[in-house]
Amino acid sequence: MSLPGNAMDSLSAALKCNIIPNQEYLLQGSVLDQYVEVLLHRLRGLCDNVDSGPESFHDHEICFSLRIPNTAASTPMPMSIFSLRVRRALDVSDTPYQLRYIGQQELGDKNRPTVVRSSIDMACSSTILEFLTELGCRIEFEYIARGYMFRKGRMKITVSKIFKMGGNKPESVEPISQSYLVELSVLAPSGQDAIGEDMRIFAEQLRPLVQLEKIDYKRLGNIM
Amino acid sequence: MSVNISVEAPIENQIQEITYDGTEIYQPPLTLSESLAKYAQKIDFSKTELEIKKEELNEDSKSDTDSKEAFQSSLWPWDSVRNKLRNALQEVCVLADVLAIAKDKRYLVLDPVQQETLETKPMVQIYARKKALAGAASVLLAGSEKMKNSQTEAARSRTTLDFHIELLRLRQNWRLKKVSNTIIGDLSYRTTGSKYLQTGTFEVTKAEDEEKTNSPPSSPLPGSTASAKPTSALRVSIPSELQGVAYIEVLCQKDQEDLCTANLTLLGSGAPPTNPDMHWQQKLEAAQNVLFCKELFNQLAKEAVQLQAPVPHMVVGNQIMATVLPGIQLIIALRHSTSSDKKQQNPPPSKSDHDHVLEHSLHQLLREVHHKNTHHPFPHPATGPLGPSKKRMLAGPMAADRYELLEMTKTQTLLEQIVQQAQHFIMRMRTEYVLDTIAKEVKDPLITSHWNTLNSPTQSCVKIHISTHGYDAVCRTPLIIHVGEKSLKCICRDGKVMNMSYEPQELRDLIFCHINQHQILAVQALAKTMGWQALGNSNHLGTGTVEPLGNASSCLLSSPTGDRIIAVRCEPSTDTQVSVAHSPRQDFFPSRLVTERKWEHLGGQFRDVRLDKMEGRNFLHKMELLMASLTSSS
Repeated sequence: MSLPGNAMDSLSAALKCNIIPNQEYLLQGSVLDQYVEVLLHRLRGLCDNVDSGPESFHDHEICFSLRIPNTAASTPMPMSIFSLRVRRALDVSDTPYQLRYIGQQELGDKNRPTVVRSSIDMACSSTILEFLTELGCRIEFEYIARGYMFRKGRMKITVSKIFKMGGNKPESVEPISQSYLVELSVLAPSGQDAIGEDMRIFAEQLRPLVQLEKIDYKRLGNIM
Repeated sequence: MSVNISVEAPIENQIQEITYDGTEIYQPPLTLSESLAKYAQKIDFSKTELEIKKEELNEDSKSDTDSKEAFQSSLWPWDSVRNKLRNALQEVCVLADVLAIAKDKRYLVLDPVQQETLETKPMVQIYARKKALAGAASVLLAGSEKMKNSQTEAARSRTTLDFHIELLRLRQNWRLKKVSNTIIGDLSYRTTGSKYLQTGTFEVTKAEDEEKTNSPPSSPLPGSTASAKPTSALRVSIPSELQGVAYIEVLCQKDQEDLCTANLTLLGSGAPPTNPDMHWQQKLEAAQNVLFCKELFNQLAKEAVQLQAPVPHMVVGNQIMATVLPGIQLIIALRHSTSSDKKQQNPPPSKSDHDHVLEHSLHQLLREVHHKNTHHPFPHPATGPLGPSKKRMLAGPMAADRYELLEMTKTQTLLEQIVQQAQHFIMRMRTEYVLDTIAKEVKDPLITSHWNTLNSPTQSCVKIHISTHGYDAVCRTPLIIHVGEKSLKCICRDGKVMNMSYEPQELRDLIFCHINQHQILAVQALAKTMGWQALGNSNHLGTGTVEPLGNASSCLLSSPTGDRIIAVRCEPSTDTQVSVAHSPRQDFFPSRLVTERKWEHLGGQFRDVRLDKMEGRNFLHKMELLMASLTSSS
């Protein structure tokens, strides 16, 4: 058995060697409800081993936020908001809850084909909800995502419908829009920018059904 | 500021002359009558529409001359007008005269002009048109006939199918791509999850180009001429290392003699012909089989070197040797025969016990590896990472320790699995052999074995019934034997579990012990039905001679009235001994120890029954007869 110190050493060594997949390469888009069947059909043709049919999922996500007062005087913001997402599968039993931290997204310049953001996720038990609440986190929002996921090599493609939570019952939900969210993502160690090119090529193949792009949330915020 | 600006009217009149001192002499403006005459002059009374067009063309050239004429004929400006009017008058007069004459109808008669004369013959026109159309149609028909002829002739002369149709068919089953000017195909298993490094590329070419180059070597081969069957328009060229026929031979060897053998080949046991005129589909399938066998062998060889077995595996050339059980080796060999040395390398005389199961499972194992490489489980919830299994995802929340995590990473190699299967195969064969020989040797209690039809490659189950013919209802001893990889597990009638090693002698002994027990139990059961009483029994008798295996078992039975006692003793090595004693002694001889007759109820001397002299089909039958005779005599 190795000592805890050894474990820490090996973790830091792993971080140094850059083998921990903590960067998410992401492209997003949307498709209207009436065309989603066509998109699914195309994805079935493009992706790996869908002989068993597309894999469906039904997840519930809660976003927690933690406000940390900034002690450094130089920063303009008095509070920094730190958000964490907890996600659980509703359709598959005995799966762990997933705690996920998503960092600030980097859009990069024109030459970078995808959004890159740091992403750290870990499996945890259901007590994470209480734990986060005890820690001082507040529920920012929650939603239910239901849809299909596909795999093409290292790429993961999810086509999901987002539902608003209605009350406490998971059955009484209503869709927030008339369209599906399409996400193409890869989790990779930092510095592996070659995958972005693969993603761009794959996204090209889904045009014009769905335009997978780098979405700038700040700009979206201005529109609304 | 003080400069005077003179205001001048724009020049409206034409300049006639410029004097030397620079003064311009203007043409005096035309008077009204003059301009009228000028314009009247321009009128062309006889102008028809045709002339207008002509005039438009040379308008530019005329414009200069007109202006000149105007100057010269200015003496009599109305001259042309007059002439024209006179001409017109003349014409009108002539027309009036004609009309006047025609009115009289004496000298001139005006007849209406028949204009339909041309259209009065529609039939002629139709005929003409018909003729023209027929001419055109015949030209077209002749042309189409010619084309059809040339096409059928081409098809007849060349029996090969169209290259593009063939290519389309090829494309339906194989991966192709175009690289510059050549078509490259891929027959490797890469897309289905194989990680084997050797490429399986082949090139597709048109047959005609190669036919010329290939005809000299193909001609000496007898019987393989293209005339018999239509040759394909498409030719596939396969790299030399994938040509020929390959299969994987699996042999279980006991020291030197073969126990079993299995040949793995996708195309059946018979070696397919490898002539150059083979259809591309078969050719590609054969090449793919070669590639598959190579990958399989490569994988097995790699594992054989890496594995730390108690008896190290040996890899020599194209052969892997692994020890399955003491004294038994599993030999896996890659046999690859190219078409050149096919003749002399005929497969050795085929073994009688060709095992398709081992053949199939080796095949299946690699396919499973391929499948696992491509079929990763999807994460739930969907944002989770791709790759780790569900078990590993749960390892964190369930606080798995280091040992459990290490267990998760362990996977069985192909070689380990095939060795296990071979071990099981041998265990099963040995068990079968032991059971069959015992059933052959032992006739009295019948031994029947039922093998479960459903089993796994490393576990099977056999149910054994020991019963006596004619007395199945009286007593039956069931046994269940689980055949594993290196051990046997026997579940006995009373629920006892016996674990045995791979040595067949142990099973043999166990079955013999159970035969004895069965006999004793059956006799007791029979006695019950006959009204006899079982006084006692022992499965492991401590008395008598020491048995080479197990212990003797025995029982004592007494007749309903209690005057007869039968003792039965079963020994695994020798036959059954039966002795009878009469309870009131029939023969009382006072001795020094037993002096009085009142002791006669102690029971007399046991006397052996010579069973082999008795009537009866089997032991139980004899015992029934014996008991019956003893009962009736009392």
